[in-house]
Amino acid sequence: MGMASVNTASEGMQLCIFDLRRGQQEGQELDKILFFFPADLPFATQLSVIGLSEGLITFTRIFSPDAACEVIEAERHSHVFFEAESDIWMVMVVEKSKESKAACQVDALRKVLKEVHSLFVLFHGTMRSMLEKETSGGLIRSHLYPFITDYLSDFLIGKKLQLPSFHDCLMERGTVQMLTVGREAAIEVQSLVKVLECSAGTTSCYSLVLFQDLLVSTTLSPDDTISLFTYAVLRLTPHALSSGATSWSYLQRTNAGSQVPALSTITNSGSVSDNIYRSRDTSLDQDNNCQVKRPLHHNRWFRGNDGFLASDIWGADNGSQTSVTPIVYLQLTEERMYLCAYQYKSLTIILLVPVSSILNGEQGLSLVKQQVLENVCVLSVPASLKMLRVEEKLSKGWGGENAYHVSGYRYLLVDDERVSRASPPAKVMTLAKDSLLAMSKLREEVNLEKKAKCSSSEVNCDKELEICVRAKNGAWVIARTSRGKELYMVLEKASETLLYASDAVEKFSNRYCSGVFSLD
Amino acid sequence: MKERNTTSTLKRILVNCSSQAKEYGGCVAKKVPEVERDMCLKEFLALKNCMQNVCLTSVFCYIKNFSMSANASSSQLTVGLSGSGGLSHAYVQYPPLKCNLPGSRGLYYDDANKLLLSPTSDQVFSWKTVPFSPHVAATADYINEGPVLSIRYSLDAKSIAVHRSNQEIQFFQRETRETFTHMCKSESESILGFFWTDCPVCDLVVVKTSGLDLLTVSFTSKSVNLVETKKLSVNWYVYTHGSRLVLLASGMQCKTLTGFQLSSVGIVRLPRFEMVMAKSDANSKPVLAAEDVFIITVYGRIYCLQIDRVAMQLHSYRFYRDAVVQQGSLPMFSSKISVSVVDNVLLVHQVDARVSILYDIFEDSRAPISAPLPLLLRGLPQSHTGRPVNVGESLDRNSSNHELMFYGDDWTFLVPDLICDVASKSVWKIHLDLEVISSSSSEVPSNLEFLQRRKLEASKTKQLCLAITRAFILERRPVTMVAKAIDVLVSSYSHSVKTCSNLKETKVDEASASVGTNASNSSRSAKDESRVGVGDKSFNLSASDSDDQSREIDSRDLQKSGKENLLGAESSRGEVQSSSLHTQQLGLGNNQLNANNSERQDSQLTSPAISPDEMYSCVFVPVGEEIVGDPSYLVAIIVEFLRSTNSEKIKVRPNIYVFTIQLLVRYERFAELSLLIINKVLEPSKEVAMQLLESGHQNPQMRKLALDMLRQLSLHHDYVTLLVQDGCYLEALRYARKHKVTSVRPSLFLEAALASKDSQHLAAVLRFFSDFIAGFRNTPEYQDYFRILNEMNTGLAV
Repeated sequence: MGMASVNTASEGMQLCIFDLRRGQQEGQELDKILFFFPADLPFATQLSVIGLSEGLITFTRIFSPDAACEVIEAERHSHVFFEAESDIWMVMVVEKSKESKAACQVDALRKVLKEVHSLFVLFHGTMRSMLEKETSGGLIRSHLYPFITDYLSDFLIGKKLQLPSFHDCLMERGTVQMLTVGREAAIEVQSLVKVLECSAGTTSCYSLVLFQDLLVSTTLSPDDTISLFTYAVLRLTPHALSSGATSWSYLQRTNAGSQVPALSTITNSGSVSDNIYRSRDTSLDQDNNCQVKRPLHHNRWFRGNDGFLASDIWGADNGSQTSVTPIVYLQLTEERMYLCAYQYKSLTIILLVPVSSILNGEQGLSLVKQQVLENVCVLSVPASLKMLRVEEKLSKGWGGENAYHVSGYRYLLVDDERVSRASPPAKVMTLAKDSLLAMSKLREEVNLEKKAKCSSSEVNCDKELEICVRAKNGAWVIARTSRGKELYMVLEKASETLLYASDAVEKFSNRYCSGVFSLD
Repeated sequence: MKERNTTSTLKRILVNCSSQAKEYGGCVAKKVPEVERDMCLKEFLALKNCMQNVCLTSVFCYIKNFSMSANASSSQLTVGLSGSGGLSHAYVQYPPLKCNLPGSRGLYYDDANKLLLSPTSDQVFSWKTVPFSPHVAATADYINEGPVLSIRYSLDAKSIAVHRSNQEIQFFQRETRETFTHMCKSESESILGFFWTDCPVCDLVVVKTSGLDLLTVSFTSKSVNLVETKKLSVNWYVYTHGSRLVLLASGMQCKTLTGFQLSSVGIVRLPRFEMVMAKSDANSKPVLAAEDVFIITVYGRIYCLQIDRVAMQLHSYRFYRDAVVQQGSLPMFSSKISVSVVDNVLLVHQVDARVSILYDIFEDSRAPISAPLPLLLRGLPQSHTGRPVNVGESLDRNSSNHELMFYGDDWTFLVPDLICDVASKSVWKIHLDLEVISSSSSEVPSNLEFLQRRKLEASKTKQLCLAITRAFILERRPVTMVAKAIDVLVSSYSHSVKTCSNLKETKVDEASASVGTNASNSSRSAKDESRVGVGDKSFNLSASDSDDQSREIDSRDLQKSGKENLLGAESSRGEVQSSSLHTQQLGLGNNQLNANNSERQDSQLTSPAISPDEMYSCVFVPVGEEIVGDPSYLVAIIVEFLRSTNSEKIKVRPNIYVFTIQLLVRYERFAELSLLIINKVLEPSKEVAMQLLESGHQNPQMRKLALDMLRQLSLHHDYVTLLVQDGCYLEALRYARKHKVTSVRPSLFLEAALASKDSQHLAAVLRFFSDFIAGFRNTPEYQDYFRILNEMNTGLAV
């Protein structure tokens, strides 16, 4: 156990999830830990991190019972708090690197926590309900561990976990990126979606349509849309499928090969943790015959011959070759839905069919899929060229990777904290570090301001706000919010006046945001 | 007794017709998964014939299911003809037009003027058949005594020409009663017939055994002048005024035909062509008779149908300007065949089999559109309805004639849709029962397509289409199927709009632009009415296959639209041809020989096309009321409708968008709704924004979308008012200043500022208005708030 601790310590990140309702008796403190990364840290260290967090939460709750502490900035660490469910906390401890001392984006980190939680809930339901189902906590531990490790592996760049930093200040995690479509294409898409949902036969189907990594249509509630969209972009879209394949070989190689310290923390600690949790809850496997599913496990999705995406993560159906269809939970209604994903070229269609509406499980579902295929997907039938037509229309209208690049501007546009659009990452990379740092700082300020406003006058949180900052390198760093919409912008044209910057924003607003941010 | 009788009849039928029944059954069984209309038609008719024969011998035979018609030759035979209650795709309406006059010397039909003519010794009585009314009074004209072979009124109805003999045609002027005679020049040739024409070069065409004489008739000089002669040996000829086409038969078998079209745009000589005749054996050569050839006009195209008695087939040919193309054949189940055209539907009467088969030859399909059923009689007086009528007895007693001898030998089928019963001197008009036809079709989209092509009884057809669509949606058929049906309706509407004059298009625009909910609707319908009123005359004329006036309009229209290629499929051909200026001037922008393009004109006058508004009010709203539960199905259909209208570039009024919003909001499908709004599937308009605002109570996101929409639509007043309502009065002020919105009362802003209890803001607002609105300082409002502001400030100071 102690052997790996060196590696993890150097990693500089700890992530824990604990339940304040558990382990309140002396000597049972371990019981409150639901997850800890790195898992091979000594329990004493784990407990001290959690103890500190718990103490802070209890303390700050005295002053602010509804929203306890969100972040602690220590000299060398930042502690980011997120209350995922009532009394279940996620805490991330990040080491501050010397170069970006002030600029680790707390908000971005909290969004990471939020994202992993919403993904977990998407596939497993709420943690609380899981804890209620199996009070010993073994079930949830065995699920959380692989889930979060899989999730974190996405942040693995080379040997290091690369958590969101000031570099990512012009993107917004936990939002949806939409494809802009014309009316005609939109109608085609809607027509396709409606035919799809109706052809599934049941009334309460939902669907999500993506083109490349962009959302085209959704009939889900906003929260569910965000989680499912996130998952789709991570694992289902053509991009995710293909990149999965390359990283798969990479992982294979490294696994088989030498002891890369960073990776070993992930892979090894998996086995270590298994030992820990299995030894604690030996009854687990007897109780639940099913294996722990790892929806975020890499490169386990592939495109089937029928165009439907299939995965062996959920195992194969007894006696047949077809793999089991995953089930997801809707947040609002807690309804369980089958997730069927269909892919045609760049188009990914996710259809959610209520589990309750399908009587004989996998068999019934394959019938539904058959119907869907017949109605929209089979290309040989002239009436069902819908899919083809939609794909064609969308690809025609799509401007490619840099479609949303506006030359001269590096921007991030957030609408209602749900939808965002940003300059392509490659273009953001061209910005100077000073600009990024300034923007990162500015965003933190805006977030604080937003929170302050919300707490002071709860009726109207979305007031207008405008900040223009001149960064060290002479770039203009601008934030503007108006009626729930936020615009962040970096203009790296040195020695220009504020008037120029303001003009540039005005132009951008009129051209791309239908004048939302225009000052009058 | 009756029951026993029936069973025994059935038994007899089964015994006697077992082989036919077996064949029919076997045929049906073979095809059974894919049941089609008129499958096994041959077998069915064989069985039916057999059964009928069995029936003949029975005293009382009533087979309802087959609903056979009266057998004229047997007075005992009863039919499944229950007055007005019977079902058939086509029917005739009681009472007929009676042309019974004492001293009548036969009935003649003048198809150019649509007149029924009955000459007596010194008079000729005429009845108008268009519009068809059984009570139309006869008009009498005086003619001299003498034999009458045929008789026709001139197209201006001023004079009458009477074919007296092989050598002689006599002319009468109606007003002056002047008269003169035209005789054949040579003894060797004889006059076969004649007809009046609207051809620019001549008035009258006389068909003689030696060819055509084109003549002008002048009453002032009491003479006819020969304009031109077309030399040709002619055995017999066929002419219909509808097609303006005369076919001249020559040759031993009379199967070599030459055609001339003499229309108001000139004379077109068609290439000579041979009819197809099958030979029974090598030596016998069947001779084609005039009765075997029919010229029909369907959808403005001219076809010729020719009976081939040996092959038992009805061959069809289509006439083009420079070619005659054989189109395929229809089956014959009777040695005597007659055809009618009702509302562009071809009825082939299999006279011996006593059934009529309907064909819609719009596309190249030769499939009949309904089962072979007899014509029915409708609207018999009450005493006859409700029970099978023993035609022979009861009717004979009542009306003392044989008016119900269906498909009897006395029946003459007149062009295009009349039946003349020579014996009883009564004339019937054939009607289609679209309801029955459509109910016999299970495929709704093609059925709607068929209905949309019907031009007579347009409003009735329209209602039928609407009812079918409603039912189709309420049955929750697959969306793709409903989408197809909607496509049919929308493209038909788009077609009807396009073919309309520019005038109408502007009208539509006007209507769609006006904002009021019902205002435009009513104004529109008022215009429709007025247009129909104006067009009525020309409609009738065109139904009577047009006179000069309407033809002039046609050709003008065509010239105008020649470049626009309105006639779709033929247009490419038209383009090729249009290089010759001549063709264009003739108004025949395409190669095809158009009998008359009045069909096109009809469509703009009375078309069953359904406008988006009517779709909304007659389909979506009623369906929305009836459909229970989740509205996503209906929304899916509305989206399909929008797709269809969008692809046809038809404007949709906002009420349908408002309706969609209401549907989605009722079931709280806000995610879908906002997507539809953002992508402008539901196009922005003030109505839509207001509806969104209304739903904003339930979902703040909707309110935001509404505000955005108002701003984008530059509805400044509403936008500013709403901003103030939201408490964003400073933003509202800025907006008001930028867009110079002065219509919002300052007190609204001041109240909002006061409510925020911020004296600085209040002062700012006050100051703003005193600068922004001239003379604001002198209003009591200003005084009031100025006082309040002072109080606030002093309060603060204390």
